[in-house]
Amino acid sequence: MTHKPDSYEHNMVLAQKQFRVLGTRPIRHDGVDKVTGRALYGADIDLSGLIHGAILRSPHAHARIVSIDTSAAEAMEGVLAVVTAADLGDSGDKMIDLGEGEQNLSFLRGNVLASGKALYKGHAVAGVAAASLHVAQEAVKRIRVEWEPLPAVTTTQQAMADGAPVLHDGLRTKELGKETDQTGNVAAHFRYDKGSPDEGFAQADVIVERSFDTATVHQGYIEPQNATALWNNDGRLQIWTSTQGSFVVRDTTAAILDIPVSQVKVTPMEIGGGFGGKIPVYLEPVAALLSKKTGRPVKLVMSRQDVFEATGPTPGSHIRVKMGATNDGRIVAAEAWMAYEAGAYPESFVVPGAMCVFACYDIDNIRVDGFDVVVNKPSTAAYRAPGATNAAFAAESVVDEIAEKLGVDPLDLRLKNAAKEGTRRADGVKFPRIGLVEVLEAMKAHPHYQTPLEGPHRGRGVAVGFWFNVGLESSCSISVNSDGTISLVEGSTDIGGTRTSIAMQAAEVLGISAEEVRPSVADTDSVGYTSVTGGSRVTFATGWAAHNAAQDVVAQMKERAAILWGVDAGAVEFADGTFRSGDNSLAFKELAKKLSETGGPVTGRATVHPKGVGGSFAGNIVDVEVDPETAKTKILRFTAFQDAGKAIHPSYVEGQMQGGSVQGIGWGLNEEYFMTDQGVMANSTLLDYRMPTALDLPMIDTCIIEVANPGHPFGVRGVGEASIVPPPGALANAIHNATGVRMSRLPMSPPRLMEAIWALESNPIAAD
Amino acid sequence: MFPAKFDYVRADSAADVGRLLAEHDDAKLLAGGHSLIPILKLRLAAPATLIDIGRIPELKGVSVEGGALRIGALTTHAELASSDDIRRQAPALAEAAAQIGDPAVRNRGTIGGNVAHADPASDLPAVLTALGATFHMTGPDGSRAVPAESFFEGMMMTALQDNELLTAVEVPCQAEGQASAYSKLPHPASRYAVIGAAVRLTVAEGRCTEARVVLGGLTPIPTRALAVEQALTGKPLDDRTLQAASAATADGLGDDLLGDIYASAEYRKAVAHVYVRRALAAAAGRLA
Repeated sequence: MTHKPDSYEHNMVLAQKQFRVLGTRPIRHDGVDKVTGRALYGADIDLSGLIHGAILRSPHAHARIVSIDTSAAEAMEGVLAVVTAADLGDSGDKMIDLGEGEQNLSFLRGNVLASGKALYKGHAVAGVAAASLHVAQEAVKRIRVEWEPLPAVTTTQQAMADGAPVLHDGLRTKELGKETDQTGNVAAHFRYDKGSPDEGFAQADVIVERSFDTATVHQGYIEPQNATALWNNDGRLQIWTSTQGSFVVRDTTAAILDIPVSQVKVTPMEIGGGFGGKIPVYLEPVAALLSKKTGRPVKLVMSRQDVFEATGPTPGSHIRVKMGATNDGRIVAAEAWMAYEAGAYPESFVVPGAMCVFACYDIDNIRVDGFDVVVNKPSTAAYRAPGATNAAFAAESVVDEIAEKLGVDPLDLRLKNAAKEGTRRADGVKFPRIGLVEVLEAMKAHPHYQTPLEGPHRGRGVAVGFWFNVGLESSCSISVNSDGTISLVEGSTDIGGTRTSIAMQAAEVLGISAEEVRPSVADTDSVGYTSVTGGSRVTFATGWAAHNAAQDVVAQMKERAAILWGVDAGAVEFADGTFRSGDNSLAFKELAKKLSETGGPVTGRATVHPKGVGGSFAGNIVDVEVDPETAKTKILRFTAFQDAGKAIHPSYVEGQMQGGSVQGIGWGLNEEYFMTDQGVMANSTLLDYRMPTALDLPMIDTCIIEVANPGHPFGVRGVGEASIVPPPGALANAIHNATGVRMSRLPMSPPRLMEAIWALESNPIAAD
Repeated sequence: MFPAKFDYVRADSAADVGRLLAEHDDAKLLAGGHSLIPILKLRLAAPATLIDIGRIPELKGVSVEGGALRIGALTTHAELASSDDIRRQAPALAEAAAQIGDPAVRNRGTIGGNVAHADPASDLPAVLTALGATFHMTGPDGSRAVPAESFFEGMMMTALQDNELLTAVEVPCQAEGQASAYSKLPHPASRYAVIGAAVRLTVAEGRCTEARVVLGGLTPIPTRALAVEQALTGKPLDDRTLQAASAATADGLGDDLLGDIYASAEYRKAVAHVYVRRALAAAAGRLA
C-alpha cells in the first residue's frame, strides 16, 4: 500500500519546522494533459512542409568504412537529401561540457555520424530525408557501403587483453592523471588513495575478496529518441526534441555543427522518460543537416531497436572488491579494482562509481583503481546514479559476507561503520551533514525488519547506497497576475513532476497555494540558462531559483505596498501571505490587483549556481523466495528507505523511490544485453529484453527520511537517483540468505542462479 | 517496420476460400492475424496476397456432437477459455487458452491460426495432442481429417497443404474417470511457453489406465513423454507415483531441444519435470 497523506510523518529530523505548501500532495499541473493524451511528446510535432528522415546504421560491431555510395538513394523519387559524416566536417579534439562531465567534441561528432570506422552495431552512418517515411526507409537500403569488418571486443576483459583489437588509433591512456603514449582501449586509469590499505588489512581479523560482473542494461524509457529540425533561411536553427536538457541540446548541437549557440533555439517537448539517457544528442545534428540541405523541417524518430542498439545504455563492468574487518566489527581496510565499459567512446561513469563504491562507510584505509575502457558497444550514457549501482552490488555483497563471517546483524555492521558528517571519502571529499545513520536506524526499526521471515527457501537481504546529487545552474522568472496567481517560467524539462515541486517552493514563499502557480517549461530563447535535468538537481536547484525569484517578487511588492500606504518599503513586512505595516495589511492576492495603479506589472527573476549540494542515501530491505526447482526468484516484500532532505511533494518522492527500486530490481534479476560473438545485440526488442512489469513485483513500500540539507533554503537534497543503487546488492544478499549461494554476476536470472545452486550442491566448499 | 506490399481479398465462405486459393499464387490465409501480421512486419514473410477468412460464419463456434467437441477454426482463445462446454469437456484446453499472451491476443487470436502456424512455443499444440484432437481440413480434393499426433510435422510445419483450409478442431469429450490439466513456464515478456506440460489421465478402480503426457515449448513439435506415461500406467495416482513418474521427464526428450537467450536447452531440460509434476498433480486433484 502507498502511504496515505496522513500517515506521512513530517520532518523526522528537520525538527518542528512547519510549512503551508511543502510536504502536501497537490495534483500535478501537467496531469490533465498527460492523462487525457493531449500532452505533446517529441514525435507529436507537426510543421508545415514537414518531411521525414531515416538513418542508415552499421550492421557490424566494428568495421572500416571503405567507401559510401549514396547515388542510388539520391536518385530515388521522393528523396530530398542524404548526409554523411563528410557533411559534419572534422572538429579535432576539443572538450565541451554536456552538464554531467566533459566530452571530446570529435567523439560526439563521431557518435552522431560514423567517420572512417563504425564502432558498434547500430552506429549511424548516413541520414536520408524524403517526402515520406517509407521512401526514406527504402532509400536507406540503397546506400552502398563497402565495409571491411574488424574483430570486435564487447567486454572489458576482451578489450584490455594483450593484442586486443583497438577501437581508436589515436587513443592514449591517461595514467593517474597524466598523458602517456600507451595505446589500446583503456582511456584512463585513475586511483583514489586514503591511508594505507596494507596496514589496514594487517589489522583485519576477517578479509573477504570477491570478483563481480554486471551486464550492460538500458534505461528503458518508453519514448524513443526523436528530433525535428528546421534550419531557416535566416540561418537560425530551430529544434524540437524530448530531452533532459534543452540548453545541453542547444550547446552540443551548436558545437557539433560549429555554429554559435545564439543561432540555435531548442523547444523541449514533453518527455516520456529519460533516466539519464536523454542527455546526449543523437538525431538533432542529423535532422539539422538534412533540413539545411532541403530547406524543409525534418523529423527523425528512433525505433525501439535503434534505442537499444544506438543510444547509451549503462556500462557493463568487472569489479573486484576486498574488505577487511576486525572481530569487533570495525571495517579497517578496503580495496576496489573497477573496470567499466565506456562503449565506443571514452567516459564510462567509472569515476562516480569509484567515488561511490565505499562512500557509505567510514574506513581509514582505502585504495580504488578505476579503468575507463572502450568496447564495441553503443557509447554509454548516464543511468540514474550512473556508475554507483554496479559498485554497490559489489561492495554491499562483500559487506554482507563480512557480517556473516563475524556473526553480526548486517544493519548493525553498517551502522557501526556508517559514514557521517566529517567522514572523508576515498576521493578526498568530506561529507557535510548526511543522513545515512538515520536511514539505517529507520531500516532497523521498521516493522519489515522487525517481522521474522519464515518458511522454506526464503531469505532477507539489506543493502545501502549513495549518490552525490549535483547543483549546476538554473534560472526562473515569475510574473504576478492581477487575479493573485503567478506564472512561473523555468528551463528544467520535467521528467519527474518537477513543475509542481518547483511551483510549490514559490508558493511557499508567496503564501499562495500550489494551484495558484502556473508553471511552464520554456524554450531556450525564453528563459535563462538552465543546466540538464539530471543529478537529482531540479527540485534542489531550480526550486531554489523559484524560491529566490519569489523573494524578488516579495521585495518589489513591498515597495508597491509602501506606495499605497505612504510608508518606507523598509517598514513593510511580509509573512503568511500578507503584507503589513502598522495597522495596514494587504494579502498577496489583494495587492496583486493594485499593481497597475502602483507602477505596472511585477516580475521576479533569479538565477542560481548553488553549492551546498546534499548527497542522498538509500536503503532496501527485501524478502525473496527462490523456487528450488526452477531457481526463479520471487520478491515477497520490498521496502525502500531514502533520505530526501525536505520532501517537497511526498508522493513524487515516493514515486522516485519506487521507480528507482523497480529499475534496480530489473537490473538485479533480469535485464541484460545479450551480445553475440560478432558483437551484435541479440535481444533488441522489449519482448526479449526483460524489464520487470507489474506482474513481477510486489508493492514497493517506501519510508522517507528527512535529514534537512543545511545547504538549501528548504533543506532539499534531491531524490531522483539514489533509490536505484541498493536493489541488486540487497537482492543478492537475500538470495544468499535463501539459498546459500553468493551471486557474483548480474543479472541473477533463473538459469544463472540454477547453475550456481548446482555448483554449490556438487561442491559446497569450492562454491562458497 | 511496415510489411512488404500485398494484395488483400476477403472470403465469404469456406468454398470461397478454395476458389481464392486457386486464383492466387503465393497467398496466405489471415484469421486473427496475431502470428501472421508480426511475421509480415518483420518481413520474415512477404506473401503476394492475404485472403481474409476472419468473417466466415461456418468456421466459428463450439458445439458438442456425438461425444466430441467441434471447435470452429475461427474460435478465439478468449472463447475457448470461457466456453462452458470446453471447460467441462476439455478443461486443459480452457486452462491453456486462458494463459495465452494477454487479453488483446486472446480476443483476436484463433485456434485454427494457432495450430496452422505451429509455433513450438505455442500452448495449444501440446494440449490438443494430449487430448487426442483431430484436425479437419478441406482442399481441392475434398475434406480430410488428421489426428494431432501426425498433424505437427516440424517447427512451423504441419500436414496442412498450401491449398487447404483448416475448418475445425475436434476434441473428444472428457470420459468418466478422466481429467486433464496444463502447466507452463511462460516467457516473462511474451507469455509464450518456455515449457508447457499438458496431461490427460484416465482412472478406473483407483488405478491409472491411460496417461497422455505431452510437452511443448522445449521441443520443435509436441512430444509425448512416454517414460512418464509408462511410469503412471497401472498405478494409483498418489504423490509418490506422480513424483517418480515426473522425474522421468527428461528421458526420451532427446537432444533436439530448443533454447534461447532467456532459457537455454539445458535449463529447460533440467526443470521440465517440475511442470509435468504440477500438471499431473492438478489433473489427479480433479479426479479425487
